[in-house]
Amino acid sequence: MPELRARLFSPARDTLWGAFAALILALLISFVAIAASGRDAATGFADLLSGAFGGPGPLGETAIKSAVLVLTGLSVTVAFTVGLFNIGAEGQLIWGALAAAVIGQRALPGAMALSLLGAAVAGAGWGLLAGWLKVRRGVHEVISTILLNWIAIHLVHGWLVAGPLAAAGSGAMVSIAGTEPVSASAWLPRLFAGSRLDLGFPLALAVAAAVWFLLTRTVRGFEWRAVGAGRDAARASGIPSSRCICEGMALSGALAGMAGALLILGTEHKYPGVFRTGYGFDGIAVALVGGGTALGTTAAAVVFGALRAGATRLQLVGVHPSFAELTQGLAVLLVAAPRIFQPLLARLRGRPSAAASAPPVPTVQP
Amino acid sequence: MSLILDFAPPLVFAALGGVLSERAGVVNIGLEGMMRFGAFAAAAGAIFSGSPWVGVACGALAGAAAAGVHALLSLRFRADQVVSGIALNLVALGLVTYLLQAVFGSAGVSPPSPALSRDRFGHSALAYAALAVPVLFHLWLAHTPAGLRVRAVGEHPRAAATLGIRVLPLRALCVAGSGVLAGIGGATLSVGIVGQFDARMPAGQGFMALAAMVFGKWTPLGAAAAAFFFAAADALQRQLSFSLRAADLRLEGIFLALPYALTLLVLASGVGRTRAPAADGVPYEPEGR
Repeated sequence: MPELRARLFSPARDTLWGAFAALILALLISFVAIAASGRDAATGFADLLSGAFGGPGPLGETAIKSAVLVLTGLSVTVAFTVGLFNIGAEGQLIWGALAAAVIGQRALPGAMALSLLGAAVAGAGWGLLAGWLKVRRGVHEVISTILLNWIAIHLVHGWLVAGPLAAAGSGAMVSIAGTEPVSASAWLPRLFAGSRLDLGFPLALAVAAAVWFLLTRTVRGFEWRAVGAGRDAARASGIPSSRCICEGMALSGALAGMAGALLILGTEHKYPGVFRTGYGFDGIAVALVGGGTALGTTAAAVVFGALRAGATRLQLVGVHPSFAELTQGLAVLLVAAPRIFQPLLARLRGRPSAAASAPPVPTVQP
Repeated sequence: MSLILDFAPPLVFAALGGVLSERAGVVNIGLEGMMRFGAFAAAAGAIFSGSPWVGVACGALAGAAAAGVHALLSLRFRADQVVSGIALNLVALGLVTYLLQAVFGSAGVSPPSPALSRDRFGHSALAYAALAVPVLFHLWLAHTPAGLRVRAVGEHPRAAATLGIRVLPLRALCVAGSGVLAGIGGATLSVGIVGQFDARMPAGQGFMALAAMVFGKWTPLGAAAAAFFFAAADALQRQLSFSLRAADLRLEGIFLALPYALTLLVLASGVGRTRAPAADGVPYEPEGR
């Protein structure tokens, strides 16, 4: 069985076109879906664009959402690099958000940096747990991270935030429930008047650049990629594959944890009683559409961030903002199966349909 | 006790769906999405036809249709099975909310639907079906030629193929059947228990069914037992929060996390050889070696 990355992104040269085609097709299908329900799809899409890019306010919303998606997407991408499928970004994000909210309550010097650091450590711990279970106990990471997600969701939402860490006086009222507010010194500073754009977006881009450098320009990144490309071959060449997997999962968790911190320090300013983000699961979509590279993931995150920001405007024509999730899901469905596009791509290149002549994916039966 | 028989059926049906698909060698992370489609279609079908059983049939069909997409992507187009399941969940999340708005004009809940009739103990027929179906499923999987074929394509598809079993069609059939079961599980939620569709359904029940399947070691009886056990934890937590005023203690999160933590512990300890079917998640290439 080919390693994870080879299975997900096998025709590497087609990844970019595959992602483009999938995005366009997903938008087309969504457009038709809106039109079919009797709404003005053209106006809706114009609203969508202006809601994502029309002026500093909308651009700020796009940037806020993109920043979180960049980090959760990178989290999944880093795990891909060491050959693991991290479905647990959501759980890691939740622990990171909680750590940021708890540390941020105390008006310490450098509160913002400390909160971010704490969030990264908390997320890294939850990610490392999955890595450890994989290399030491042989628990498949897809199963363990799904379980860890729900453990985090229930422990944090159903117990910690509702009980021990709840703000004094936050009773049954969900609207005011949550932890004590974060001290203003820990808030991410806003960069412009008239826009909610905060330090989060530049921070996320800097982290993306650092991850790109780490994965493609350092020895450690090379070792991780070697482990992801073939664990046994890597081990045979003296690369400590178990350690690499644990390191990769720790970084993956740290990135998701920081994404949680951005949400708390940037927009929520406390851990709210109702915190249904879904950003962790969206990170999987972002990483898949982004082709599993740092640059592609960042680009995909901005596209989906804009879609999310713009979709709130769709309510003007009577379409629910969940439209963004629908488009995103369709895009993943379509990139998931690159073979759908293979005949089309081959024809575009002027070659006979490759459906029949496509080389079979090299499989090695154990 | 009575509460358990209320909470368990959705989990039981969905977990059995997981067992069917994975014993045939196809990983099914999409249970949550299939349940969601099933729950919505069941409520819509029941509302428009006036009959809850038509609703259940609609739910089963919708689950099968969603599973058909999973089968098409992962078997025909060789998409990674985990990715395909995740994509299905994402689509279900967005599409069902969109349909709820488009059909019923509400982003929160559907209008009340006709609910399944209940006997004098307060249970619907589906609750009793959840007791019988696991046993029938076990007998079928363990003691019939068809069940043997399913296990064969999940453990060693190439060997099965050399004996004349058509691997991909059989796998597709099992995935579709898995969707039927998950769809019925979703229908149990909407027309069986609540009597309407809620935009948050199934609220993680599909993932809990997945955990029950793993906890039950990929066997029908084990998965069903685990589903009942998880439902019992849920029922106990509700009883406590009613009777002991434990709401002040806010412990429900711990109870809800318990099934997942136990599953993880069992997996990590390796007690009693928990092992997925050998070819689970491995794409089958008819032309390969």
